[in-house]
Amino acid sequence: MNRLHQLAVNDEGFIFDPLTGESFTVNRTGLFIINRLKEGKKEEEILQGLLDEFNVSKEVAERDLIDFLEKLKSYRII
Amino acid sequence: MELKIGISGINAVDNPGPGVGVAKSIKEDRELSAKIVGLSYDAMEPGNYMKWIIDKSYILPYPSTDHKTYLNRLYYIRENYGLDFVLPVLDAELPLYLKYQKELEKNGIKTFLPTLEQFKLRGKDKLEEVAKNIGIETPKSEVVNSYDELVKAVEKLGLPVMVKGVFYKAYRAYTVQEAVSFFNKIVAEWGYPVILQQVVSGEEMNVVAAGDGEGNSLGMIAIKKMWITELGKIWTGITIKNEELLNSAKRFIEIYGWKGAFELECIVDLNNNKIYLIEINPRFPAWSYFSTGVGVNIASNIVRKAFDLPVKEYRDYPAGKLYIRYTDDFVVGIETFQKLITLGEN
Repeated sequence: MNRLHQLAVNDEGFIFDPLTGESFTVNRTGLFIINRLKEGKKEEEILQGLLDEFNVSKEVAERDLIDFLEKLKSYRII
Repeated sequence: MELKIGISGINAVDNPGPGVGVAKSIKEDRELSAKIVGLSYDAMEPGNYMKWIIDKSYILPYPSTDHKTYLNRLYYIRENYGLDFVLPVLDAELPLYLKYQKELEKNGIKTFLPTLEQFKLRGKDKLEEVAKNIGIETPKSEVVNSYDELVKAVEKLGLPVMVKGVFYKAYRAYTVQEAVSFFNKIVAEWGYPVILQQVVSGEEMNVVAAGDGEGNSLGMIAIKKMWITELGKIWTGITIKNEELLNSAKRFIEIYGWKGAFELECIVDLNNNKIYLIEINPRFPAWSYFSTGVGVNIASNIVRKAFDLPVKEYRDYPAGKLYIRYTDDFVVGIETFQKLITLGEN
């Protein structure tokens, strides 16, 4: 079940899932990733976006992205 | 048209009755310009004193007394103040109203309630059948009347297990000893039988809705309780949009031609895409004002339907709206209390 597109996301990183009534908070990086996912961007494009947006090495960005995507999967959001 | 609408359950206490919320909803429909008649069972019920919501209050005999005394009290109210419609919201009074709804109608007091046949669907013994017919599931359960049956049921259902009264109270037991202790507690307070129910994983989500008796919805919303009191009563909640859950409620209305308000209590297991029906309440829940607050005035639609007034069609409601219950207080003179005690009305 892909719940990503239903999520209500605000600029401060507060996310509400209307299916479950649950809410989450994410930091700037998490918000960046969520918004790119909602735009339908692929993993590689998001990784490149992280490198362009944040002052971070490719290894760290890749690891953080994978970690975060796994977290979203564990919540069954993607 | 100035309707006089009787509403019970105006005991806005720590285990609140649904009446005040229902009364607020009807008051908010300005086109009805309704006067609310509070039907209370105790002079201390706070609704008796809430003049801005309840226009006039009467003390009623308990519904467990003989039906003639009860109905005569309603006729007295109709004669002396006016009573066009009664919306009973308490479990204990529903059987009486269901049984005598036609008699009340003949005597000029309308109701909008399920039939006795429909009412039976809310029984714990019918839950499995109803759930199946509306396309969802129900946890396995056993009805127990003795210690021996209790032990056998625990063996069958496994631990942990829910120990529930037929109408009130539900505890989660992790050991047989705990199950026995909850069993005794429920029997002491509410009597037999006791229901043992399999524990299913998921989140509790509820729907408040009403059917028009012809298979159509008069409005519905789904919510999740975020914060509950020690008595298990909602104190904070949030509206949700779970199409499967809402569709189950729609099917319930369609298949059974349900008439009147109801609440579906469900456990939603998103990991396994399962919805379990836990309970059907054949009346408004205490938090029913939540739906009015998000633009779906179910109570006023019931009154509209009962009086052939145009019914409002509610197609949608916003998810992510919060319900906040809070305590408040106010001071009144002793006159209202005196009148209620001496005259049975204020």
